[in-house]
Amino acid sequence: MQLDPVEYAILSQSVIAAAREMGVKLIRSAYSTILREARDGSAALLDAEGFTVAQAELIPMQLGSIGPIFQPCKAMFPKETLEEGDFLVINDPYSGGQHLQDVFFFHPIFVEGEVIGFAASVAHHLDLGGGAPGLNAAARDVYAEGLIIPPMKLNMARDWNGGGFQRLLRANVRVPQQTMGDFDAQIAANNIGVLRVQELAARYGKAKVKATMAALQDYSERRMRAAIAQVPDGTYRGEAQMDDDGLGRGPITVRVSVTVAGEAISVDFAGTDPQVGTNLNCPFASLISASVSCLKAALTSPDIPFNDGALRPITVTAPKGSLLNPNHPAPVRARMVSASRAWNAVMMAVSQAAPEQAIAQGYDTTTAFCLSWLGPQGWSVYLEVYGGGYGAGIGNDGCDAVDNPLSNCSNTPVEAMDQDFSFFRVTEYALRPDSSGLGARRGGAGFSRSYEILAEEALVSYYSDRFTGAASGLFGGGKGASGRCEVRRGGEVISLDSKVSFPLRRGDVVTISLGGGGGYGSPAERPAALIARDLEDGIITRSLADSWAS
Amino acid sequence: MRVGIEVGGTFTDLVAVDRGEVRVIKVPSTPRSPDIGAFNALGAAGIPAETVTDLVHGSTVATNAILERRGADIAFIATRGFRDILFMQRHDRRRIYDLHYAKPAPPVRRRDCFEVAERIGADGTVIQPLDEVEVARELLPALAAGGYRAVAICLLSAYASPAHEMRLKEMIAAALPGLTIAASHEVAPEFREFERASTTALSAYVQPVIDGYLARFEATLAEAGFRGHFSVMQSNGGRMPAAAMRRNAISALLSGPAAGVVGAIRQAARSGRGNLVTFDMGGTSTDVSLVQDGEAALAAETEVDGLPIRTPVLDIVTVGAGGGSLIWIDDGGMLRVGPRSAGAEPGPACYGRGGTQPTVTDAHVVRGTIRPDAFLGGGMSLDADAAHRAFEDVARRLGTDIRGAAAAAIRLAVANIVRAMQLVSTERGRDPRDYALLPFGGAGPLLAAEIAEELGIREILVPPNPGVISALGLLSADYVKVRGATRRLALDEGTPAVIAADCARLRAATEAEFAELGLTGPLEPSLELDMRFIGQAFEIPVTVDPGMLGGLSAADLAERFAEEHRRVYLHGGEPGRKVELVGLRFGLRRRLDALPEVRERAAELARPATAEVVTGGATVQARLADAATLGIGEVVQGPALIEGYSSTTWVPPGWSGARDAAGNMLLRKEG
Repeated sequence: MQLDPVEYAILSQSVIAAAREMGVKLIRSAYSTILREARDGSAALLDAEGFTVAQAELIPMQLGSIGPIFQPCKAMFPKETLEEGDFLVINDPYSGGQHLQDVFFFHPIFVEGEVIGFAASVAHHLDLGGGAPGLNAAARDVYAEGLIIPPMKLNMARDWNGGGFQRLLRANVRVPQQTMGDFDAQIAANNIGVLRVQELAARYGKAKVKATMAALQDYSERRMRAAIAQVPDGTYRGEAQMDDDGLGRGPITVRVSVTVAGEAISVDFAGTDPQVGTNLNCPFASLISASVSCLKAALTSPDIPFNDGALRPITVTAPKGSLLNPNHPAPVRARMVSASRAWNAVMMAVSQAAPEQAIAQGYDTTTAFCLSWLGPQGWSVYLEVYGGGYGAGIGNDGCDAVDNPLSNCSNTPVEAMDQDFSFFRVTEYALRPDSSGLGARRGGAGFSRSYEILAEEALVSYYSDRFTGAASGLFGGGKGASGRCEVRRGGEVISLDSKVSFPLRRGDVVTISLGGGGGYGSPAERPAALIARDLEDGIITRSLADSWAS
Repeated sequence: MRVGIEVGGTFTDLVAVDRGEVRVIKVPSTPRSPDIGAFNALGAAGIPAETVTDLVHGSTVATNAILERRGADIAFIATRGFRDILFMQRHDRRRIYDLHYAKPAPPVRRRDCFEVAERIGADGTVIQPLDEVEVARELLPALAAGGYRAVAICLLSAYASPAHEMRLKEMIAAALPGLTIAASHEVAPEFREFERASTTALSAYVQPVIDGYLARFEATLAEAGFRGHFSVMQSNGGRMPAAAMRRNAISALLSGPAAGVVGAIRQAARSGRGNLVTFDMGGTSTDVSLVQDGEAALAAETEVDGLPIRTPVLDIVTVGAGGGSLIWIDDGGMLRVGPRSAGAEPGPACYGRGGTQPTVTDAHVVRGTIRPDAFLGGGMSLDADAAHRAFEDVARRLGTDIRGAAAAAIRLAVANIVRAMQLVSTERGRDPRDYALLPFGGAGPLLAAEIAEELGIREILVPPNPGVISALGLLSADYVKVRGATRRLALDEGTPAVIAADCARLRAATEAEFAELGLTGPLEPSLELDMRFIGQAFEIPVTVDPGMLGGLSAADLAERFAEEHRRVYLHGGEPGRKVELVGLRFGLRRRLDALPEVRERAAELARPATAEVVTGGATVQARLADAATLGIGEVVQGPALIEGYSSTTWVPPGWSGARDAAGNMLLRKEG
C-alpha cells in the first residue's frame, strides 16, 4: 500500500490526536488522586501486531514499554481468536509488566471483522490489595505487593458490568469507589481510541490506516537513527548509586556501557549489583523505558512521536538476577528509584558523547509518599508522588521543585486535600533554600511539605532515595542537597530513613524534604548578578552565596 | 454613531454604524501605544469624537502586559507556609522530554512574596485566626517599604470564607491608601490554590496597566469632545463600561478572539443560524469555537504564557495554522505546516519582502485561489513568481511539481484546522455535521469549503467583510457580567434551593454593580452548574435555565449531568455513582439593540471573467465574481472565486454560493 505524502501526514496526525484524546479523557474522568491529580497514567494506540504507533505523552516511564508489555498477551491470545467485546488485561511484572499498581488494558479495534490494532491504557492504581494500603514497604516478594493479573482475556458483557472479574477486583482493593472508577476511566479511554481509529478507517479505508500505522513507526525510527548518527561512535560508560536497599545495605550501584555504532545504540547494564530483597528491583520493561527515555530526551528532537519505531535503533540488556532484571518473585513496587539510577547512568555516558546535550543529575528520585488511616468510614488512603530539583544544563539552571525525568506527576492542591482528607492537614509547602548544587548553572531547588496528623493511628509509608547520597554535578558543578523525612512529636524530632513505614500519633508533624539538583560547570563562572538575584529571592542564603563567589 | 475599534497585532480595525450606514476602516497598529492606532482609525474614518454615542474597544494591552512581563511591580500575600504557591505551580512539566525545562515565570519575584499567620478550613471555619498584630508589625511596613503598585492576596480556603482576606485587605487599604489590592475571593472565588493565586496575581499585575491605559484613552476622548458611553470588550464575550474594567482587569484578557465569535454569532443570527463552528484564520494562527443555539460555550479557565487564569472565557481553541504559516519537510521526510510563521516581516514569499520559505498564502497564489492582482481589493500586488520559487524545494522532496506541492500544503493546512474543530466538536460529543461553518478573518473563506468537505458539513455562511468581524463583534456585544462561586455538596433534595439562594446572592451583587454603572433595563440571567461524579477532579458544566430551577429535582440535575458525561466520555452513571455540585457561574446580560445590516465594502477592481485554479488534481477555469455587487439570491456555481475587499471566498466544484436576504453568503454543497 503506497500512501501519498499528504494522506500520510493527515492520517498520522489523526492517529496521534486520537491517542492524545484518550490520555486526556483517561485523566479527566478518573477518580483517584493518583490518576486525576497526579496524572499517573498513559494511553496508546498499537498496530495489529501490538507495536506502539502513537501515545499520549503523560508519563515517560509508562511510555516506552506499552508495546513490549502487550507481547505476552498476544502470545497467549492471538488476535484471530478475539471477538467483539473482548479485552486483554495484565499487570504481572514477570510476564512483561512494570509493577502491580500499573494495570494495562488492551481493547482490539475491529474493522470489517478484522483486528487492525489495539487501544491501550495504563493507570497507576491507588491500591491493589497486598500487605498494606497504597504501598507495602515491608514486602519481600511480589505476592505481598498486591493482586497479580497474568495476561488475561476478558469480555465486557461477561466479566465486567457486574461480571466475575470485576467483582474479584472490587473484593481485593481497599478503596473500591476510586479504583473501580479508574478502571472504568481506562475502559472509556480505550473505547474512544477504538472509535476514532474506526472512524478513520471508515473515512480513508482500512488499508490506508494500516499503512499509516506502519509508516509512522518507520518515521520515528528514521528520525531516531538520524539523530543517533550525529553522536560520535564509541563506548561510553556511566554509573549511579542508590543509597541502600531499605534494609541497611548499600550503596547499590548501577553500571552501564552505552555503545554508539552508526545509527544504532546498545545499552548494556553488565556489572550492575545483584537484585535486592526489597521492592527496589526494576523489572526489565521499566529498564527499557528508562534507557530509551534518557536517550530520546538527550539526543533527539522532542517532536519525534514515541512509538515502537523509536525503540528499534536501541537495544537494552541487563544480567538476569541483577537489580535491573530481577528473578521472580522479587518485589518491584519502588522500581522508579532503581530505574532513575539507570537513567542517571545512561545520562553520564551521554555526557561524554554529547556534553552539551547532557544535564547534571537532578534529585531524580520518585518519592511515593502515602498516608493512610482506617477510620469509621473505612480506609482513607492518600498517595502523592514527589520529584525534587532538576539537574542544570549548559545554558539553564535546573528547574525548581518539579517531577523527575521518568515521571510527570502533578501535585494535589492543598485545598483538594483539605476537602478530601480529615485525618491530616498540610501546613507547609515551600522551596528549600540552599538545596541547589553550585555551578555556572545551578541545580534546581528541592522543596518540603509538612503534614499535621489529626487522628490517632495513622500510618506514613514511603520510599525515596538520596537521603545519604546526593545528585552529582556535571563538569565541575556541585552536588544538590540530600532529602530527608522528619517527624516532630512534642519536643522530639524523629529522623526517618529513606524507605519506611512508620506509625503516627495525633499531633505529629511529618515533614518530607526533597533534595536539589546538581550544578553544571564551574561555580566560578556563574555571573554575579544571578547569584545576587538568588540571594535576594531567598533561593540561597548569604553563606552559600559567599562560598559560591570564593 | 456607534463605533467599535479592535486593536490587533498588525491592524487596528474600526467599524462605524450610523443610521443604517456602515463604514469599515483598517489602519496599521501602533504596538507601543495601541491607543494612538485607535485614534488614527477614528481620524482615518473622518469621525469626530463628539458624534460618537457608543464606543466599544478591544485591545491586547492586558495580554501583552503579561506576555512581555511589563505589568506593575506587585507583592503577593499567602497563608503562612505557602508563599511559594506561584513557584511550585503543579509540579509537572509541559514538555516531558525537555531536559532544559523551565516553568512559566510568575508575575512576581519571590522576594516580594509574604506570609500571614491564619488558616481557614474547607468548610469555612477558622482554624487559626488572622494574626493582626503581626500584620501591623511586619507586613504593613514591608509593603510600604517595597514601593509596590499593587498587592495580590490569596489565602487558603478563601473561596469558602473570605473573612481573613477581607480583613487583611481592609488593613492594607487603611495603611496604604491608593495601592491596588486584588483579593482572591473577589477575583476567582474557586478552590485549587495555585490557579486562584495565579489569577489573583495576574489581576494585580495588569490592573494598573489597564487602569492607566483606559484613563489615558478616556482623557483623550474627553479632550476631543466625546460624551458617549465608552466600554471595553471582555473575554467572556460581553462588554463592560470602561469604569468597571478599570477595577477588574482580568476579564479583559484575550478579548480579541471573543469579539470575533460574538460578531460571527450576531451575523449568523440574521440568517437564522444558531449552531455554528466558527473559525477565524489570520496571519499566524486560527481560532476555532463551537456555538450551540446562538451561545458560545464558556470555559472556566484559560492560560496566558503558561500561567493559568481562572475566569470565564469563551471556549476557543487556537491552532498554529494561518496564512503566514511556513510549509516545510522535517528530518523524517514528513510534510509540515506551521506552527512557525513568516510573520509580518518578511511575510509570505509572494509579498516580495525577502521571504523565501513557502507559506499557506503562497500556496493559495500558486494554486490560483489568491489572484496576485486582487489582493486587498487590488491594494497590494503580489509576486507570483516568488511564490512558485518558494515551493521548488518542497516539490522536489515530495517528488511532485510545484502545483502539486502547493495543493498538498493546502490539504495539510485544512487538516490542521479540522483537527482543532474536532477538539471542540467530536471530542466533546458534538457531531460537526449538525452545524454550519462560519469562516472569518482574511484567510478563512478561502479554505472553508475544503474544511467543510472534511467534516461532512454541507452549509457555510460567509459574513460580509469577513476581515472585520471582530470589530463588528465589539459593536454587537451585550453588557455581560459572570460571577463564579465554589459550592461543593452532594446532590440531594435541598440542592436546588441552595443553588437558588446562591443565584439570588450573585444576582443582587451584579444588579448593584449594573445600577452603579448606569446599566438599566431588562437583565437576562444565565446559569452553569459545574458537576462531577463524587471522587472525580474535573467538573463538567451543565447549563440550566435559572428560571426553571424551582421545577428541577436533584435527580433531574444528576441525570442532566450524567448525560453530558456520557456525551464527552462515552461512559457515566454506572449504578452507585453519586453526583456532586462543585461550583456555579451566574451571569447577567443586558441586551443591546439589534444592529443594522452590514454590506460588503466595494472594491474598485477590473477583473477578467475567469481565472485558473488547481483543485482536486486538475486545473479548472473558475468564474470570478465581486462580493460587493453580488445580488441577493444570485447564485454562483463553483468553481468560482468571490472576491471582496478584505477576503476572497473559494467556491469549489460541486458547491454553489448565493447572497441571502441578511447579507451573508450561503455556500451549499450540491447533491
